[in-house]
Amino acid sequence: MNAIFFSILAIFSLFVFMNLGKIKASKKQMDRDDRIKWGNRRRTSFFKNKTTIVEGKAEEVKDDKDK
Amino acid sequence: MSKHSALNTFGRSGNPAFTRNFDNTGALPQTERMTLDGAVNKTAILLSLCFAGAFIGWNIPALAMPSLIIGTILAFVTIFRNPSKAGTTAPFYAGFEGVALGGITVFAEAQYPGIGIQAIGLTFGILASLLFCYKSGIIKPTENFRLMIFSATMGIALLYLVSFIMSFFGSGIGFIHSNGLFGIGFSLFVVGIAALNLVLDFDFIEEGADQGLPKYMEWYGAFSLMVTLIWLYIEILRLLMKLRSR
Repeated sequence: MNAIFFSILAIFSLFVFMNLGKIKASKKQMDRDDRIKWGNRRRTSFFKNKTTIVEGKAEEVKDDKDK
Repeated sequence: MSKHSALNTFGRSGNPAFTRNFDNTGALPQTERMTLDGAVNKTAILLSLCFAGAFIGWNIPALAMPSLIIGTILAFVTIFRNPSKAGTTAPFYAGFEGVALGGITVFAEAQYPGIGIQAIGLTFGILASLLFCYKSGIIKPTENFRLMIFSATMGIALLYLVSFIMSFFGSGIGFIHSNGLFGIGFSLFVVGIAALNLVLDFDFIEEGADQGLPKYMEWYGAFSLMVTLIWLYIEILRLLMKLRSR
């Protein structure tokens, strides 16, 4: 009896896995701000914090030049 | 910047497979991208190979230990050397681990008849119920959740390693193997952590399919699910053995 119960549980669970696994997760799961970001974001955020350097000759801008 | 200093220092993921593959998904054609269907089908293939291996291990239990060693080496090769070759290494891993599990189950069955099918039923029962909880959004994995599970998993691995090394000197960490309340409590904790690792695997596969990772990551996702399932099965078997020996 014990063996039959656990066999049915195993087969039913595998059936659930094979069918449910192919369905996309609910919006409640996917549309969250606190989702795990599996990629390495360290490099991106590192570069985001750097200032953008434009090559060329520096020139002083005076606000009253055009006036 | 994240409020967690560990994340700022070490980045989001320590797993080389994840960090290598999540950044270059843009140029892949649709047919070469990871899908949920593909990952589930490949998990089914690995499970079938594991069962075939278990049949061999059940009939020839002497193969259990060499298969366990080969399987462990294959797992390390897949994780740290070349995740893109998971399509080749993961089926061998599943087969060899299956042989090992077959041998271990014969040993357990000899002591406590009927324990094997109970462990299999509970393992797949946990798999299905956690998958439902994940898909429906009842369990929501976050960065904090991952840090917690990762720390606990590493702690357990370290404890097992220390116990393994101590066993060479005729000593050991007693409560890990005892059938007292503390030993059973420890086993329950380990089963819980192994089960929650499944949620991380589901999230990785879901995110990978969403981002359109390369096709071979289906094998890698299926492989990571198999690693967790095999660990969960062994821990459930240990827990049931402790309970039955009381």
